[in-house]
Amino acid sequence: MRLRGLIYPLVGCALLLCAWELVGRHEMLGDTFPALSQVLRVFGDVPRRALLIRSAAATMASAAVGYALGACLGAAVALLAHWVPLLRGGLDRMAVLVNALPVIALAPVLIITAGRQDTPAALAAVPVFFLLYTSTGVGLRGASQRLEMVFTTLGASRWQRLAKFEIVAAVPAVLSGMKIAASGAMIGTIVGEWFGAPSGLGVVVLNSMQNFQIPLLWATVMVIAVITLSGYGVLSLAERAARSRIGACDA
Amino acid sequence: MATLALAAVTRSYLRRSGGGRRESFAALGPLDLTIGDGEFVALIGASGCGKSTVLRLLAGLDAPTSGAVLINGLPPRALQAQHALGLAFQEHALLPWRSVAGNLRLPFELAGIPATTERIVELISLAGLAGFEHARPAELSGGMRQRVAIARALALRPKLLLLDEPFGALDAVTRRRMNFELQRIWLEGRPTTLMVTHSVEEAVLLADRVLVLTERPGRLRSDTRVPFARPRPTQLMRSAEFHQLVDELTASLERA
Repeated sequence: MRLRGLIYPLVGCALLLCAWELVGRHEMLGDTFPALSQVLRVFGDVPRRALLIRSAAATMASAAVGYALGACLGAAVALLAHWVPLLRGGLDRMAVLVNALPVIALAPVLIITAGRQDTPAALAAVPVFFLLYTSTGVGLRGASQRLEMVFTTLGASRWQRLAKFEIVAAVPAVLSGMKIAASGAMIGTIVGEWFGAPSGLGVVVLNSMQNFQIPLLWATVMVIAVITLSGYGVLSLAERAARSRIGACDA
Repeated sequence: MATLALAAVTRSYLRRSGGGRRESFAALGPLDLTIGDGEFVALIGASGCGKSTVLRLLAGLDAPTSGAVLINGLPPRALQAQHALGLAFQEHALLPWRSVAGNLRLPFELAGIPATTERIVELISLAGLAGFEHARPAELSGGMRQRVAIARALALRPKLLLLDEPFGALDAVTRRRMNFELQRIWLEGRPTTLMVTHSVEEAVLLADRVLVLTERPGRLRSDTRVPFARPRPTQLMRSAEFHQLVDELTASLERA
């Protein structure tokens, strides 16, 4: 059963990759759609491989800084809203406002305030902040009512309730938010790099597009996809592990 | 220990009527009630008559609309602050990420009292769960979880034990066994206890007094003393006296 669950997606992927190779090789979709083998050859070319590795390192560093910043800030503000219910209405509206701002419109403002170097990280932090604020809030409020009552009758202080119960119960929801935020951080970083960062995968995407280096463009996008999916995959596993241990509060 | 007093207690809620106007409807009372130190009292009545409201008022989870709820002359919150209240629900409400021992340690942690290994072992054997110390709630049966929840409620030797349909989610056979388990556990400390239940037999088997509430708004319909000596054996449930009392109370419940 488990094996079959693994075989179908693998066969599906293999078929898609074969189709890609065929379409590219016969230029069915024009000469800007290269074959898979042409794209993979980019990784075999030493200077271009070095460029991709260097750029990926820069992008991942920016994304990681922005992700960490946005996640910590989002979770911290959600905790504040939980601790001081009076602030919640205002903070909720602020978070919605932050989310409503199109990242692409924010970028020029950040370029002239934060600078070219730090804009990718700053733009990565924006969607991560919103997602973590929301998911942490949902997790904290979603804690079982009956357990809340047990803590009340046992004479728990507000702090004990938060530390021993609500925060732990919120972990699966927080990880779920972190999982979705991984791709959000990557989008923010790439967009930030387009506005003239010194290095990064976004810069390579832009340059290879303008210089008509088609296989390099595709290879860069492939690297971006692999990074994003790995982040998503690792956090999915963490979420699943947390749910099996912490979830089912009412079971 | 604890003496409870409810004096002219009422509880009403606001709800939206058909026209969208808010109107108040009475859920409970007026209710006068005293429960003596070390008494085991069972509360029965039709669904929605306010049984659980009485329990929530005593637990300090809800406040009366009028009247006073006093435990040893103080409001229930004082008992919470003294960590002298034990509560168990129909559903166990254990922390799913903690083991049996971890869940039993919780009341001690919240009260800032060191949980000695001996006391935890004692509670585990009280719950009849020796060998399951490290099991998580998900690995236990419904009856086992419920015993952990009751042992947790008793962990700090509370002055007042509140049980809200503690066996309502269990099958008939397990429920019967748990009734006798509860009697055994209760006899060790005899805390003042109020148990809400749907089962007349359970009430008669376990309680010193059985209170019947009327339909909404719940008032006291009858207050019946249960004369049987403790510990009550299984044979009691087959005796004529037992059945007669169950029948009387069932009739009272039907008139309610």
